[in-house]
Amino acid sequence: MVRRSLWWLVVVFSVVGLVGSIALAQEVLPGVPRSEVIIIEDPSGRSLDPGRFNLWGGGVTSWSTGVQQVCLGTLWYIDPDEGIEGDPWINLLAAEPPIYNENYTEMTVKLRQGITWSDGVAFTADDVIFTVETLKAHPEMTWGAYMQVNVEEVQKVDDYTVLFKLKKPNGRFHTIFTVRWSACYIMPKHIFEKVEDPVAFAFNPPIGTGPYVLKTYDTNGYWFLWELREDWDKSDLGVAYGKKPAPKYILYKGIASPEKKVMDQMAHELDIIHDLPPEGAITLSQNNPYCVTWFDGWPWAHPDPTLPAVIMNHEHFPYNLKEVRWALALAIDMVQVALQAYNGCATISPIHVPPTGLYPGWYFDKIEPWLKEFTLKVGTEELKPYDPEIPVKIAEAVKYAFGYKIPDDPQEIKKLVGYGWWKYAPDVAAKLLESAGFKKDKGGKWLLPDGKPWKISILCEAATRSVMTRAAAAIAEQWRKFGIDAQIEAVEPSMLWTRMNYGEDPNTVYWAWCIETWGGHPDLFWFLESWHSEYYRPTGQTVVAKNPMRYKSEAMDKIIEQLRQTDFFKDQEKMIELGLEYIKICVEDMPIIPVFSYNVFTVCDGYYWTGYPTAEDPYTNPVPNWGNTRFMFIKLQPAEKK
Amino acid sequence: MGGFLKFFIRYLGARLIVCFLVIFVGVTITFLIPRLIPGSNPAEIAVRRLQMAGAYLPPESVEPMREALLKLYGLEGSMIEQYFRYWRELLKGNLGPSFASFPTPVVVLISRSLPWTVGLLALTAVVSWVIGTLLGGVASYRGKRLWVRVFEMFSNAVRPIPYYIFALTLLIIFAYVLRWFPAGGAFQVGIVPSFSSTFVKSVIKHGFLPALSLIIIGMGAWFLNMRNLASGVTHEDFVIFAHQMKIKESTILKNYVMKTAMPAQLTGLALQLGTVFSGTIITEIVFNYPGLGTLAFTAIMQSDYNLIMGITLCSIVAVAFATLLVDLLLPFVDPRIQYTGGAG
Repeated sequence: MVRRSLWWLVVVFSVVGLVGSIALAQEVLPGVPRSEVIIIEDPSGRSLDPGRFNLWGGGVTSWSTGVQQVCLGTLWYIDPDEGIEGDPWINLLAAEPPIYNENYTEMTVKLRQGITWSDGVAFTADDVIFTVETLKAHPEMTWGAYMQVNVEEVQKVDDYTVLFKLKKPNGRFHTIFTVRWSACYIMPKHIFEKVEDPVAFAFNPPIGTGPYVLKTYDTNGYWFLWELREDWDKSDLGVAYGKKPAPKYILYKGIASPEKKVMDQMAHELDIIHDLPPEGAITLSQNNPYCVTWFDGWPWAHPDPTLPAVIMNHEHFPYNLKEVRWALALAIDMVQVALQAYNGCATISPIHVPPTGLYPGWYFDKIEPWLKEFTLKVGTEELKPYDPEIPVKIAEAVKYAFGYKIPDDPQEIKKLVGYGWWKYAPDVAAKLLESAGFKKDKGGKWLLPDGKPWKISILCEAATRSVMTRAAAAIAEQWRKFGIDAQIEAVEPSMLWTRMNYGEDPNTVYWAWCIETWGGHPDLFWFLESWHSEYYRPTGQTVVAKNPMRYKSEAMDKIIEQLRQTDFFKDQEKMIELGLEYIKICVEDMPIIPVFSYNVFTVCDGYYWTGYPTAEDPYTNPVPNWGNTRFMFIKLQPAEKK
Repeated sequence: MGGFLKFFIRYLGARLIVCFLVIFVGVTITFLIPRLIPGSNPAEIAVRRLQMAGAYLPPESVEPMREALLKLYGLEGSMIEQYFRYWRELLKGNLGPSFASFPTPVVVLISRSLPWTVGLLALTAVVSWVIGTLLGGVASYRGKRLWVRVFEMFSNAVRPIPYYIFALTLLIIFAYVLRWFPAGGAFQVGIVPSFSSTFVKSVIKHGFLPALSLIIIGMGAWFLNMRNLASGVTHEDFVIFAHQMKIKESTILKNYVMKTAMPAQLTGLALQLGTVFSGTIITEIVFNYPGLGTLAFTAIMQSDYNLIMGITLCSIVAVAFATLLVDLLLPFVDPRIQYTGGAG
């Protein structure tokens, strides 16, 4: 008996000893002090094929591993906020903005001198020419088809000057090399010219013009560690700004569970969280004294220049009727939607551009007087549907429901959550529907003009972005309250976008987005180009780009054609003027129902690093999957030792 | 003996036919489903993936790119032609390229994740089965002991807790509060995989919490299952008769009670080992652990149908062969089951 007890004691102590000895060898990044590393969330989670860095060849499932943020570079960047030196336009590999000839058939690019690739080879015009020629020869590569369609010839004027001869006039050709989230990056010629198949080539290790080089990565795809180049002063960022990025190492780390992200940051083991459900971000803000968010308090989140909207296929009855689209808008109580989806942290937009970056000044201030006077005619009655008081109503509701501290000044509130939205006017919505032949049954449910019950399924994202699912549920609730049999159908994003692009689902509207803007430049061409009827594809055929509602309008075509004629650099006023015309047409037609910008709860930890971009110092977008975040690293500074 | 061999071969043949039929039907279904989903054209998906990510693809370039990708992926021919081509390549061991990670072959992606899944899930499945089954068997026989009641209470308490919450609780306690174990990953950031003791230690340390969570949950279920099964057996006539024959208690427990209850447990274990190949996605997500679960999840998120098919195929084959193995092994464990199909 004694012997048996002893045996068990030995077993127990052995197990505890083994586990303890392994556990006590507590690890940090081997040989690297934590204070030299900034740890950033890669929102893609796990990279399927982590050893592949060839963004041109495709097959890279995560673009947020640092490869486009700190390694590869391209000619220009437009910051979605104010820009690192107060100008959102940034010349990075290029020395200056592009120079077009008079009829936009030629574009000359002058490159910065003194930049070297991370392996020490000089960056020259040959790299740009090689990139374009390689892509042109391979339309299956990312940006390849665009080069094939547009570039007649690319010539070397000298080592630092490149001349593009275009197949047709195109005053927006440079935008393919201008980062808004991403763009066509420049290939290192000396690497790719030795490769037989540029599509199959893994490009490992990646060689870039950026200030960091890949040190090591997880073969399972969860993390990527980048180290500051010794010759960082010869990197694109070093030559352009002459400032040394403070973090010696950058670790991009995929973390799938939001709870884990919160706990990691509370433990100061994750410096930048890409996005969180509102509750997670607010918890961090309230419990981590070092927490840094875009706004230092309600509504915390950074508004991305992306506009989630209710997208209806105009080829399906009754969404071809303007009255119906407007009725659906007026049957939404935006205060409730903002509260339910975003805990009141949404930046709302009644118009068809996101209320972010510099757009409030360019568009919202200018259009608001017109919005206030805009009249909707229902038979003989008239209604002014714009309600500028909605931000204040949201603020009051937020104060009541969540107890958040809100400013008293309505102008301040406007800066935080937007300008206004459409009145909650179910009575007017009912009249609009009745004018289109709709009726209500005895139970108060809306019937289509043919007497059948009106059912709407809102197809939305599941799981990946909880705010999107919650917003769809809130809109469905509003419509049910109004008497429409509305439900949500939550699916994986790829399925949502597939179905939306084919547009074949009966009784379905889509909760997604098709309007995205530069944020730091007023040109709307980025998304609006594909609204031109020449790119229209009927239901059943997948849409070419950003017109899943299959909207066709001669007036809109004219605006797009006029936009094509404008000069991206010289005609900003004209672009804004045309943009305002576009907004007016959209308000009249309501092709989609704009709701709010996609607000990203990017949460930073100031325990090890300070100098993150915020609304007070909006020098760039803090959302770390954007290529534009590269400029953040020269502004960050180590925090004082605790 | 000759008669046994004859019956065994006939039994084996019949079971093999069923096994291959299951695989054939499973493969055919996994081939058809993605192709019947509207908009599942991989070229279309590749373009959309870029657009969804936020990359600027001007409208005039979208259609030429789509056509070029279709050509690159080699998806020509009718569905029937593609089906036969799929089987031909499958028999050569080629599952095709991953579309999301083109041109990396599906086999390469699966083979990178498989060792982690098998290492974690197979090990924890066997450990929890062995502990749960042994303790469950003993508990059924010595039900009034204190440890039995404590363990039973613990198993009943743990069982209804959703696994996600349970795993997260372990993580909070051991990784964030006590800081005994890392919060995630398969090994330490910055270490290059090798057979060094540093790497092996790191793997054990990182695998400990996910393994513990699976073992505790699994063990409780096996324990309760075995206890219920064996409790029924203890009242069978042959056990009562053995008691009256004054056979040693330990012999009754081992040879009469536990052996009789074992077939159901073994079947459960084999089926669980078969499902190992589909991964445990929640474990992998909570602990950032690599494996087939997150690979499959990412493949679904990226609409990578070739990869989804590859992972599903592994699972189908594993379950089919696990079932076959159980069918072949059970007669050895329980003499009442015979290869003739009759009762002993």
